Amino acid sequence: MDLATVESRAEPRAFSPKHDLPEEYRTGATRMLQFHANSEIMGAYLEKPFIRQSPSLDRKLAFSAKVQDEIGHGQLLYRAAEALGVKTREQMLDELANGEGKFLNCFHYEMTDWWETPMIAFFVDGAAMKRQATLKNSSWEPYAHAMDKICFEEGFHIKHGEDVLRELATGSKREQKLLQEAFEEWWPRILQFFGPTDDQSTHHDFMAKVGLKTASNDELRQAFLNSYVPKAEKYGLEIPDEPRIHYDEDAGGYVLEEDDLDWEEFFAITKNDYEPGLNQIDTRAAAQEAVEWVRTSLDASDSPAAAAAGGD
Amino acid sequence: MAATDDVADLAPDERAALEALLFRMADDEFVLAERYTEWQVRAPTLESDLALANIAQDELGHARLWYDALQGLGYSEPELVWERNPADFRHSILVELPFTGGDWADPIVRSYLYDEAEHLRLQALEDAPVRALADPIGKVQREEEYHREHAQSWLERLCDDAEGREAVEAAVGRLFGPALTLFVPGEHEATVERMGLRSESLADQREQWLDVVVPFLGSLGVEVPFGPEEDVDDLLPERVGRDGNHTDDWPALHEELTRTYRELGRSDARRLRGERRE
Repeated sequence: MDLATVESRAEPRAFSPKHDLPEEYRTGATRMLQFHANSEIMGAYLEKPFIRQSPSLDRKLAFSAKVQDEIGHGQLLYRAAEALGVKTREQMLDELANGEGKFLNCFHYEMTDWWETPMIAFFVDGAAMKRQATLKNSSWEPYAHAMDKICFEEGFHIKHGEDVLRELATGSKREQKLLQEAFEEWWPRILQFFGPTDDQSTHHDFMAKVGLKTASNDELRQAFLNSYVPKAEKYGLEIPDEPRIHYDEDAGGYVLEEDDLDWEEFFAITKNDYEPGLNQIDTRAAAQEAVEWVRTSLDASDSPAAAAAGGD
Repeated sequence: MAATDDVADLAPDERAALEALLFRMADDEFVLAERYTEWQVRAPTLESDLALANIAQDELGHARLWYDALQGLGYSEPELVWERNPADFRHSILVELPFTGGDWADPIVRSYLYDEAEHLRLQALEDAPVRALADPIGKVQREEEYHREHAQSWLERLCDDAEGREAVEAAVGRLFGPALTLFVPGEHEATVERMGLRSESLADQREQWLDVVVPFLGSLGVEVPFGPEEDVDDLLPERVGRDGNHTDDWPALHEELTRTYRELGRSDARRLRGERRE
């Protein structure tokens, strides 16, 4: 299939491994899926300490399950990426360990306190949901298929995140204050979740033409602001003065002054050049290195028991 | 003793014995789960990560089940977990020991030794004449079955190669003594026996356990630090956990896992609202 044919046939779920797809498509889809899968893994890294830090048994179970779900999403997405025949899962995991693999901006920051958790589990996951819902219409069928399961589970994560948010927002004065501080710290990062405006986005046109992206960054950011600014306010959170946001009657939605955001930091992050993010990458790399012996041992012994021990 | 679903029928010493039994189980499962979760996002492969996370959540679910039974006896969750003195926990020291980074053989061996013992413990409680104890057994036993299969297949897999077998043997050498503390009786043991809560004594369970784990590990070429001529009691560590005497790793872990609870001042808030405290 040549590129022109791909473009003309780029309907939702149009292409599967049985199609002979041009390299540009396979490379583009791999880049997108790898980024998405990496983000699931690095998100799990960020949230893992809060399994231990959960202040109730129910929360502990929910956080453990959430971290597990994210790893499961990574597994599904790497599989959908592998099916494109460009990279193996091992290659992608190695690239994540050696700092070549890219992932979401928000997961490059540290999260140290419990009251920060809804910033990821409610706002970032909520933003992710806006994007992920549109990916159910991806032209790469394995991607769209993975999104069915992922969106279903993310729905629970957001409910859990909202529940933690509600509990803190209706808690003591101190809890409310800590929550507001966490919100002010995370809010600009969350707004950058969707990346720069479309005319600055390098890959958008191609990805849209071949049906790998079905909504633009601007549209997604807009949809996110329209539903999440009111949600934040509902829980008593004050939207910070900067970056400036105002409601535009004519446009029927919130308008963000994008120049108020720190794009220098954002672009350092997208190059894996931001210190806290590098720490996360290196910590993960060290943990993976420490269990390398097990993977070697598994390769050496490809016994029937191996399949069972995988617990897949 | 006739079957009862009303613990109000129990004499004070009987009630204390029932509570002690529930605390042993709840604390074992809770602390083991807490340790297992350390492997989340750290396991050797994505598949093994998911599998161990499942097991951690099962154990945490069981802990909650037994803590729920204790709540039925009048305790609150803060009293049971978040505000309890670490010295009042009654888990075996096997479950509190920390992991060394990268030593994947440890959680596998630990799980194997624990789950074989857990299987026997639950079997002995299936016909307990107190419903709070007997009712949840079936569900728990089904899940534990999967844990045993998981541990066994991993042990077989690791022992297929020299480096893996060495790591397993080192873990067995380190964990065998602590695993024996699973069978150490607690303060109310005489009453537990008299009430007939267990169909097999702890001593008999330990014999059965040794008859299972020693030959199985032997079949994998793993040397067990216990010979036929030896008295197994000699292998018991100094601190056993069952009497509240824990290794230093436990108060440290408890301190860490209650950090958020304390930082949020949840206990002060409850006191101010006049909620029930011990």
